[in-house]
Amino acid sequence: MKLKKVVALFLAVTMLGGVLLTGCGSKEGQTADGKKSLDVFLYLNDHESEIYKNMIDKFQQEHADTIGEINLQITTQEEYLTTLTGMMTAGSLPDVFYVGPESVKQFVDNGYIEDLTPYLEEKGISTDGLMQDVLNSYRYDGTATGSGDLYALPKDSSVFAYAYNKDLFDEAGLEYPDPEDPYTYDEFVEVCKKLTKDTDGDGEIDQWGAGFANAFMLYQFVWSNGASFLSDDYKTVTIDTPEFKEALQKYVDLTLVHKVTPTVEQDASLGVYQRWLAGQEAFYACGTWDVAAFMDPETFPYNWDLCLFPTLSTGKSMTYLGTVGYCVSADSENKEEAVDLINYLSTDADGQREVSGITTGNSIQIPNIVELAEGEFLDAIADGTVKYPSNANVIFNYMNGTDFCGGRFMESTYTPNAEWINLFFESVDKVKNGSTSVDDFIAEIAPQMQASLDEAWDSVS
Amino acid sequence: MNVSEVRPVKKKMSKAALTEHRWGLAFVAPPFIGFLLFMAFPIVFAFVASLTKWNGMNDMLDQFCGLQNYVKLMGDEKFWKVLGNTVIYMLGIPIGMILGLVIAVGMNRKIRGIKVLRTLYYIPVVSSLVAVAILWMWVFNYDYGLLNSIIKFLTGSHGPNWLGDETWVKVSMIIFMVWKGLGTSIILYLAGLQGIPRDYYEAATIDGANGWNLFRHITVPLVSPVTFYLLITGLIGGFQVFVEVLVMVPSGGLDYSAATVVFYLYEKAFTSRQMGYGSAMAFLLSLIIFVITAINFRAQDKWVKTMD
Repeated sequence: MKLKKVVALFLAVTMLGGVLLTGCGSKEGQTADGKKSLDVFLYLNDHESEIYKNMIDKFQQEHADTIGEINLQITTQEEYLTTLTGMMTAGSLPDVFYVGPESVKQFVDNGYIEDLTPYLEEKGISTDGLMQDVLNSYRYDGTATGSGDLYALPKDSSVFAYAYNKDLFDEAGLEYPDPEDPYTYDEFVEVCKKLTKDTDGDGEIDQWGAGFANAFMLYQFVWSNGASFLSDDYKTVTIDTPEFKEALQKYVDLTLVHKVTPTVEQDASLGVYQRWLAGQEAFYACGTWDVAAFMDPETFPYNWDLCLFPTLSTGKSMTYLGTVGYCVSADSENKEEAVDLINYLSTDADGQREVSGITTGNSIQIPNIVELAEGEFLDAIADGTVKYPSNANVIFNYMNGTDFCGGRFMESTYTPNAEWINLFFESVDKVKNGSTSVDDFIAEIAPQMQASLDEAWDSVS
Repeated sequence: MNVSEVRPVKKKMSKAALTEHRWGLAFVAPPFIGFLLFMAFPIVFAFVASLTKWNGMNDMLDQFCGLQNYVKLMGDEKFWKVLGNTVIYMLGIPIGMILGLVIAVGMNRKIRGIKVLRTLYYIPVVSSLVAVAILWMWVFNYDYGLLNSIIKFLTGSHGPNWLGDETWVKVSMIIFMVWKGLGTSIILYLAGLQGIPRDYYEAATIDGANGWNLFRHITVPLVSPVTFYLLITGLIGGFQVFVEVLVMVPSGGLDYSAATVVFYLYEKAFTSRQMGYGSAMAFLLSLIIFVITAINFRAQDKWVKTMD
């Protein structure tokens, strides 16, 4: 029976194929010559990936006797969580990946990431020199994050500061903003009005005082007005307060009443970030990761410096801090090597000199090591080795907190998912374009946000 | 008839017929196995997942919650909104059919350069969806887009905020989808047109029918199998619109005005990590598609004509 053989052969090949595909599991974590291999999955921007690729290559060369290869898979921040969720669902996590403070509890409770504490102890690695507030956000004691065993090492800690275009200030003959004395809202509006103009005389405004990306730049107004999106236990949506409403009103008034920002339509055709790069906005925000790009004349051919966000009723300028950490998969075949790698990426002094720009000149983050950040790094800025604007202290002031400014994590850092806040930002443009009032909008959206938040907490209880 | 009478017949068919029979099975096997692995299994899996509060991380079967997800879905305003958006986008199906048929009739003759023209119309179909969606994002751009530049040139006033306005964004998506699918309907209608025997037209002309009569009473009914095919595939595809939205309005549009069912279930499953809820939506969507397709097949006798 020739046919039977053909069918049998076909089935055998199919099954064998299946076995081979799944069989790969047993050889995972090893290269053909028996050395270890590591899979690393991160999101990085172009500036970052160049530096981190080199660092990872260097690490591999130093460990060439044990580590055969390191597969670095890079994605964008937008895509990261989706892909990671897919990997988790499929049960094929890379050895090393990112975790944010918001996910530590969930990842640990579901057994995805490894407790680093025993490895660090065994290897004699100390984390005392790192920024402790940031480090603690990766600790988890089994009920809450903030203390307990350590589950990740910080990749970075970032600050979202404010910035201004010096050239536009010079042109308008205005005094530069004081990096230690933030504008009040009214002062800010006045300055912005002087910087909003029709430069080519065609009857249309083409330079604005400022540009605001809702999802990143409304927080500063809210917090500075003593309001917040959530209650202190992160379980109740608190946007229905007079303080919150006032902050939102003042925020949209900049567009609707004072007309010192691009309109929602104008924002749709060219985003506020692009307009800042094109020199059309006098004020915009600058994250620590943006510095290298803004210092690069090909990207941003203007003089600029850091400053503080304007203040509302509390008189204190506020912004958010961010961090993301490296963790090791609980399923990893090579946990020892993975811990070595993340320790190198997070705490190696030379590596930190590299990413902060002390050796390369291009800064994409502040060093994780406090001593390095407050010593060598600031010196390098002062003597010009690191390309950095002169008001670098703004960053440290936000991070450490002073009487005129402070920083905190976004509320969504503490909630199981961010759907509740996405609901808000999905439709806040309705207020910003004047089609809905602040009161109507909040009355409509707050219950939806609360329902989503309840569900999120319910899903992890 | 008793069993003993049947047996010899069966035995007789063996050898040659049996060999052929088995070969047949062998050739059917790969798509069948493919169907089991990539269609049947996921559908069953999604159904099981839809009965749980699985978040993609916890143990799925521990999270069993019965029909809760479906009950919640019925009261989920956002779900009805995205279902509405999805149905509105389907307005593009008849528009695409009419345009396709008209253009196909126009092309169904010997003109110089007709092949070039046919190729041009087919280019959008073979182009990467993501690439052309990015292209159209620029066409629709409020200040710098091609469309608004033309509008400004012709009328002197500013065109609409195509992708940023709750209503216009739907118009934009329909325009894009019609453009993208036009090549397919033209090619299929052309094939249908070329299959209509000339004698039908000649006979009707002798009877005194004019051009419109010919089109209305011969062409349209005789290409109805193509129309039927386009309707079925259009509806099935229409319920699954996703990439266009993700690329052109990644936020889902102001107030979720551009989001489709698949876009919403993707956000629920992968961004909000409600795999169970997302699965319930996916399963319900496949049910809707199944029922609508079944109704279509039932109804085809009423309007689909063949040449027999």
